[in-house]
Amino acid sequence: MPQIPIIMPQLGESIAEANITGFLVKPGDTVEAGQDLIEVETNKASMTVTSPCGGRIEKFTAQLNESYAVGATLGRIETTKEEAARLGLDVPAPIRPGDTDRISKGSGNGSRVQPTVRGLPVPANAAGASYLSPRLKARMTELGLSAADLAGIPGSGAAGRVTIEDFERFIAHLEKQKISQASSMRVSVADAMRRSWTRPLAHVGMPVCLDPLFAFRKVARPKPGPALCALRALAVALAQNSAPAGRLVGNKIVHPSSIDIGFAVEAEDGVLVPVIRNADKRRLKDLIAPYNELVELARGRKLPPDATGGSIATVTNFGTFGLEWATPIPLPEQTLVLGLGAARHAPSWDSVKGQFVPIMEANLTLSFDHRVIDGGAAGRLLQHVADLMSKPETL
Amino acid sequence: MSITYLEAIREAQAHALRDDPRVFIYGQDVGAFGGAFKATKNLAVEFPGRVLDSPISEDAMVGLAVGAAIEGMRPIVEMQFADFSTVGFNQIINQAATLFWRTNVPCPVTVRLPFGGTSGSGPFHSQCLETVYAHYPGLIVLTPATVEDAYSMLLEAVAIDDPVIFCEHKLLYYHLKAESLPSEALPVGKARIAREGRDMTIVTYSAMVHEALEAAKELAPEGWEVEVVDLRSVKPIDTDTVMASVARTGRLLCVGEAWPWGGVTAEIIARVTSEGYGLLDAPPQRLNAKDTPVPYHPNLWAAHRPTARAIAATARKLLRL
Repeated sequence: MPQIPIIMPQLGESIAEANITGFLVKPGDTVEAGQDLIEVETNKASMTVTSPCGGRIEKFTAQLNESYAVGATLGRIETTKEEAARLGLDVPAPIRPGDTDRISKGSGNGSRVQPTVRGLPVPANAAGASYLSPRLKARMTELGLSAADLAGIPGSGAAGRVTIEDFERFIAHLEKQKISQASSMRVSVADAMRRSWTRPLAHVGMPVCLDPLFAFRKVARPKPGPALCALRALAVALAQNSAPAGRLVGNKIVHPSSIDIGFAVEAEDGVLVPVIRNADKRRLKDLIAPYNELVELARGRKLPPDATGGSIATVTNFGTFGLEWATPIPLPEQTLVLGLGAARHAPSWDSVKGQFVPIMEANLTLSFDHRVIDGGAAGRLLQHVADLMSKPETL
Repeated sequence: MSITYLEAIREAQAHALRDDPRVFIYGQDVGAFGGAFKATKNLAVEFPGRVLDSPISEDAMVGLAVGAAIEGMRPIVEMQFADFSTVGFNQIINQAATLFWRTNVPCPVTVRLPFGGTSGSGPFHSQCLETVYAHYPGLIVLTPATVEDAYSMLLEAVAIDDPVIFCEHKLLYYHLKAESLPSEALPVGKARIAREGRDMTIVTYSAMVHEALEAAKELAPEGWEVEVVDLRSVKPIDTDTVMASVARTGRLLCVGEAWPWGGVTAEIIARVTSEGYGLLDAPPQRLNAKDTPVPYHPNLWAAHRPTARAIAATARKLLRL
């Protein structure tokens, strides 16, 4: 008699597991298809697990008050061959010791010979959550969609893959909602972020004391902003060792050819990244005018084509939004993005005075492609930048 | 009145003999005996001198027919079983199929092949040779699945100037019935949507059309709407109808009673994957007889050929992919 597993069903789109709160039948009971068997509770609602077929409850493997993932086996139902076949749930009978296969002789331990290619098991078929059928790919191309656009579709196909029916239902559903055209700026930012997100990105951060910088601003003419100081400090640090800004392509590290550093400027419905070329070769005071000019051009959406692109890292001053912390995403063609948080009063231990003293500090963050550098290298680079920023007169 | 598939074949031959004096029937025991399956019953009496018994030599039967065709006749050759047509294979593929291309002289020979498995018929009386003949340029290969098609397609076979391999399924001879003979029909080379569906396309022909329809019926209560395409003619194949159906459903299952190595089901899948790759939402599947000679024992035979159960099981896997 075939045994059919009782499976924790998909109880809702965002439900990954459910807690067993009660059994409505006992092992040995005869049940019908669709009959309620087990009470379960999710963080959203109480529901029941129903019988996949008619038969006799063989056993429950699930425990009361335990939580089980969707797809987990909760028990087994003994059913007739006809019923199992009707469900398309034919399960091979357990191999009895002594059974011999005509080809795999004497497999008494119950293991079956699997087809192999050079020793590897062959996947049963092209399926799984990441599988996109030729038709689905063709429709996505037609509509200009990428795989990231499918993230909101719960797939109903084998192993959760999105079938063409799921996709068409999703598209039809979208058409019922309010739809507006995304600006070309939005689309290009989205595309850059999607491409960048394919990499393992990591983040480190540390506070930096801004008192020396603010003191310097009082005397310097013209006055450099904190973001430009950070940019120049990064350029100086990378000029000493450009390896952290390298890009990994296959098994090669591509080193930067010049220290061109971009900085993020918020523009309508997106972000522009104008670039200061050879930022390591000019002093901070000489960068102020070109920096201010680029900011104005960017805000006016009037950047010339050669003023963007080709930079090896970006500085973003998320502190202008009042944010102390952020984890920015580097541009897809870059490994690094340096972030500067909002300045704030903070207590600092003065060991000479033996007391806390108020200072101005801000968080400095570095987001990086973890394939190229590790936390240690990122931390050393960030420390180097922080040290340079505490001596703005040297920049 | 009701008429069987076999009677429709007899009626079509009577019709052809009546309409066209160039038509004659040639085969083993087709005359006074009326043929191995009685497909020419009484025709020798009705059309004296035009329903002729041949020697037990398929080679000679086809050879004579080719010669008669060259002289302007339109012969119908009856093989007792498709399996034995291989004895006349040389005449069919080397002479009949190539004649027009060599000489510009048409070769309007119709070779009737009673084919396909029936319970207990075994390896020599069950074979499906449509895939073999379809391989050769110059031949038309017809595989009617209904009484109406058996009648109208046989009439068309006789009228066609090319040699036609007319594959009539023995399993359908007595069981398949229609109320009356058709007055009009789809042309040869045009497939038929035997059942409309939304979720999957089954492409098949001849007796397997009925197994596929049965499978579609079995799947309906589970919520699946399966489309069944009856090819009618396996050469030429109506690729357009198949492609249009796959465009609607996104899933393809090809079913044939012939063996799996190459053949009609493989040809359909090759065409759909190369010309309609972007239509497929799942890998196309096919179901054929097992790759062994056809077994005698009824239980083995039932396991050897695709049945409605087996088709439904394969379809379920494909639908759930």
